[in-house]
Amino acid sequence: MSGQNIFDRLQSIDRRVFYWVLFITLMVPFINPIGLPVKVVQNTRDLYEGVTGDNINPGDIAIMNFGYGVSAWSECAPGFTVCAKALFREGARIVFMGAHYDVELSMNKLKNDAREDFADKVYGVDYVFLGYFAGGESAIAQLATDAWTVYPEDHYRTPVADIPLMQDFHGWQDVAVVLSSDTGDVGSYFLRQWQGAHGTKLAEIGIAMNGSTDYPYYLAGNYFGLSIGSRGGAELEVLIGEPGEATTAMDSINASHLLIVLAVILANVGYLLSRRKA
Amino acid sequence: MSQILKREVVFALTGVVTVLMFVEYFFYPQDWIVASTVRNWAVIIYNISLGLGGVRLIMQHVWGTQRRKENWQFSALFLVAFVVMLLGGLVGYFTAGVATNNAVYNWLFNNVYTPLGSTTYAITGFYIFSAAYRAFRARNLDAALMLIAGCFVILSNAPVGEVIWSGIPAIGEWFRFVGQVPGMRAFEVVGALGMIAYGFRALLGKERGFYAGGAEE
Repeated sequence: MSGQNIFDRLQSIDRRVFYWVLFITLMVPFINPIGLPVKVVQNTRDLYEGVTGDNINPGDIAIMNFGYGVSAWSECAPGFTVCAKALFREGARIVFMGAHYDVELSMNKLKNDAREDFADKVYGVDYVFLGYFAGGESAIAQLATDAWTVYPEDHYRTPVADIPLMQDFHGWQDVAVVLSSDTGDVGSYFLRQWQGAHGTKLAEIGIAMNGSTDYPYYLAGNYFGLSIGSRGGAELEVLIGEPGEATTAMDSINASHLLIVLAVILANVGYLLSRRKA
Repeated sequence: MSQILKREVVFALTGVVTVLMFVEYFFYPQDWIVASTVRNWAVIIYNISLGLGGVRLIMQHVWGTQRRKENWQFSALFLVAFVVMLLGGLVGYFTAGVATNNAVYNWLFNNVYTPLGSTTYAITGFYIFSAAYRAFRARNLDAALMLIAGCFVILSNAPVGEVIWSGIPAIGEWFRFVGQVPGMRAFEVVGALGMIAYGFRALLGKERGFYAGGAEE
């Protein structure tokens, strides 16, 4: 290190220092919450309005697809939960399913997070959990034309013929709205096989990383609404008036985002000054 | 004979299925029993392939363990975890109808899989932070512009951006909708055209990898 000035040293900080700085920075808001207000953007507002008010009628059937696993709970689950609550409060009936192998864990979490809304709902009448499906885009396409062949029974092995809600759900023509929450591609399967082919109302509750892929479809009207990452979840929690996990996470998002920008500025100041000296 | 099975039969099946799906999508969007049946087969085959994948995975790790290949310990650990989860799930399935009605299966899922899944995802944040510091350098004008745009987009994604300066969300949105969306549109349209081209090449037998492996003809 001899002969190195402060700017040179700034260029070669040990990565473990960054890990500790980030760790401590993320801890502070958990110990002492900041609670900055969250502004709702238009794509999130469109999503919320699409599942509430005049846009949804009592008895309408909505499909909610768990396209995320446990690892993406922090990004997808809050928005998904708000939408399920909103749909239930409008009297809609919900068909839950998932293309992720740990879909049951996500379903259990949803039932726990929205327990007041599930409390007065009857399984099989107001909602049904069909469980995991394999088959990718072919299964989604088949679901549109003949849902019973993809799911001959629900997750709990009850034949769909014995489930009252499933008597009204055979394919795309019975569904008022589809909400897909994904870390991967399942939303785009619904986009091609449901929205594109049949004009079904479709919205996406995705991880932040997929935002750039999803925006063009939202702007083109393929998705009537779009929630992006934890921020989208926090905005939905603002809209329904019930702060939850995503609102809590916003403090950490604030701290980490600000820290990254400060780090980039600091690194570049060091880089530019050391280059000038050289 | 094997060449016919490998090439001509696959070629014919692919062609027939493609035509069926095309015709249904564009001319019978309500439902067409023939296409629907073929698609149902696809779902069944997909499910069978999951089982095949599981069997292949076990075989691979059993060989790795038996022959003491590099990192065989991980293979052995995998096999133990696989057997425990499988047995736990099967016990739950046969006694109560669902795999998660088994205490061992549930415990492993809730106390091993769930925390590990969340942790693995969260750890990427630390790498991103460290990488951002060491790699994002304004080495030239292009890199400087990208850095500035990136900073605005990052800050506009967090409520703190608006607290710092009310113009940050507007600038971030401008970068997102005016700067980034057209680029993504181009990517997606070009990707879709590429898929169509690939489909035609496969149908015409130009994609050898699609049929029997190996290089392009």
